[in-house]
Amino acid sequence: MFKSMYNWIDERLDITPMWRDVADHEVPEHVNPAHHFSAFVYCFGGLTFFITVIQILSGMFLTMYYTPDIINAYASVDYLSHKVAFGVIVRGMHHWGASLVIVMMFLHTLRVFFTGSYKAPREMNWVVGMMIFGVMLGLGFTGYLLPWDNKAYFATQVGIKIAASVPFIGDYIKTLLQGGEVVGAVTLTRFFAIHVFFLPAVLLALLAGHFFMIRKQGISGPL
Amino acid sequence: MAHDRKPGEKVVFVGDSRVRLKTERLKQPDYSAYPGKSEAFIPNFLLKEWMVGVVVLVGILALVMSEPAPLGYPADPTNTAFIPMPDWYFLFLYQFLKYPYTSDHYVVFGTVLVPGLAFLGLMLVPFLDLSPERRFYRRPVTSALMIVTLLAMGYLTYTSWHHYKEELKEKNIIPEDVKREEELRAAKGAGKAAPSPSAGAAKKVAMVAPDDPGAAVFKKATCVACHGGELKGMPSSGIPALLGIGDTLSKDDILGIIKNGKGNMPAQYKDNIGKGLTDADIDKLANWLSMQKSK
Amino acid sequence: MSDHNKQAGQHGEKPVKREMSRRQFLSYTLGGAGGFMAAGIIIPMLRFAIDPVLEPKAKADWIKVVEEAQIGTEPKAFQFKMHQVDGWYESDVELTAWIAKDSKGQVFALNPTCKHLGCTVSFDAPSHEYHCPCHGAKYTADGKNLVVAPLPLDEYSVKVEQGFVYVGQLHPNSRVK
Repeated sequence: MFKSMYNWIDERLDITPMWRDVADHEVPEHVNPAHHFSAFVYCFGGLTFFITVIQILSGMFLTMYYTPDIINAYASVDYLSHKVAFGVIVRGMHHWGASLVIVMMFLHTLRVFFTGSYKAPREMNWVVGMMIFGVMLGLGFTGYLLPWDNKAYFATQVGIKIAASVPFIGDYIKTLLQGGEVVGAVTLTRFFAIHVFFLPAVLLALLAGHFFMIRKQGISGPL
Repeated sequence: MAHDRKPGEKVVFVGDSRVRLKTERLKQPDYSAYPGKSEAFIPNFLLKEWMVGVVVLVGILALVMSEPAPLGYPADPTNTAFIPMPDWYFLFLYQFLKYPYTSDHYVVFGTVLVPGLAFLGLMLVPFLDLSPERRFYRRPVTSALMIVTLLAMGYLTYTSWHHYKEELKEKNIIPEDVKREEELRAAKGAGKAAPSPSAGAAKKVAMVAPDDPGAAVFKKATCVACHGGELKGMPSSGIPALLGIGDTLSKDDILGIIKNGKGNMPAQYKDNIGKGLTDADIDKLANWLSMQKSK
Repeated sequence: MSDHNKQAGQHGEKPVKREMSRRQFLSYTLGGAGGFMAAGIIIPMLRFAIDPVLEPKAKADWIKVVEEAQIGTEPKAFQFKMHQVDGWYESDVELTAWIAKDSKGQVFALNPTCKHLGCTVSFDAPSHEYHCPCHGAKYTADGKNLVVAPLPLDEYSVKVEQGFVYVGQLHPNSRVK
């Protein structure tokens, strides 16, 4: 049944080569933790992606309860983490996942750095990787405000003030981030939009580029 | 698409559309130069990655279940006792701003210039480190720069956290999320519903008899400086709201607190007499406060 | 296109009128239409997103804070309510001003927002200075920046009427140089 359905689609769209491209490529021994224990350092990239998937899923589910509004934001986070079944787990995954994704990405960056894997011909992939790093930090910064507790509020004030210290255009950046003259209702909706729509879209595009380049260029050789 | 066909090439079109049946695949990377056994990505290699993934997920779930995500009290812009801390991975940047050449008139150095240059340098490292050598010990300058940066980041993060802990101890502040969690645990132990400090819940208690002569006295007295004109207090700094205070304290209790203080609050009686209030005024004040009942 | 025409003219030859090829025409049209679509979609959105930057800043009203009699030479925090319009959310926020009298008996009010990175400073009575909890910035009672902060604390305009202190617009500190 499943097979005949697959064949029906494949006849029309020729989908076999698409997944074959992903599935069939060879993976060399030096990155395989089954052969060399030290190869676990090559897992950090994959783990970063794994946790990113957790982040995207848990984030999607959190928005079922979360309200980006200064009166209700705190109450909704409080509600979803203390009144909803498994709420503390889902929010916990998103909260700790945010830290872990940074840790994994940091370790992955260090692995690439110290194995010299960024060298020609993989320069572009390094640059894309650094952009992903920047986007992830942006996600961390914008996500921090969303629970709207004191920690969120004051850390964001400091963050915005840092942005405002940029010479010449600092004040404009500040107003643009805040959406007004104070960190308030408009700031929260802005940060929500950036955290939930803008940055994830950029992140997915960059990740696609990152993976495509890895597939195209293959993994860097053993040292 | 039809234009760039080579003469002898066999082209299969799907149906009558111009979509060419794709037969070429992305080129397989050739790992024959590397020693050892390579294996297919799916299922052989992916299985090993997934084993690592399983271990990591178990770790994450254990962390999630043992440590609930922190949540403090609702944001209160007038709270002055709160020590703001960014997420841990920004701590090194935060600490960096405390040094003489990264603060004061040079704050741009700390906020924009140095971090910007560092990030830019890292981003452009493939174009700065041009030697074909990959081993880190054979390219000492690049590696040394990275190691020094890592050590500096580690030091700054540690120092920042250390300062924070010391400050908490010195000012006798319990971090809000910890306080909140204890409250929840206490409520659970007592079998009550989890208290919610959200703004919506706080609003339900309204001020009673705002035209009472006691209210006018309150505005003149020292009380207003901390507990606020709206009797809201600053819960996050440990200054309780006086709304609904009549539920728990009688007029005599309140007079006692004015005369003797309570907790962090010093005795207020003398100060208020010094401000020109009389005993009768203070009596009116205490009477008015004892009228502040939530129902 | 136009470049080619000009070059031909400069060389003193008879300018050749070059026909635009069909392919060129199509790609220009395609580019133009694509640009129009992109601009038509993006421009309203951009203007929408940057609106707060272009919004004129509101001027603060005078707000009654406290009786003048309560002001001493040592700065004390007084809270006052300001009507604040934050997008669609209008509220009366409680703000804090640290109010004191200077040596001439003139009342002045400082905003406790640290000029370093926007934390909230408070007055530390024993040292007679404002201290910031974030990066250890210090200010004198007049708001003059001593360490870390690049600028003195902002000041509220103050007026005293019928024994009450009013605060108004926030502006850079005028008391210290």
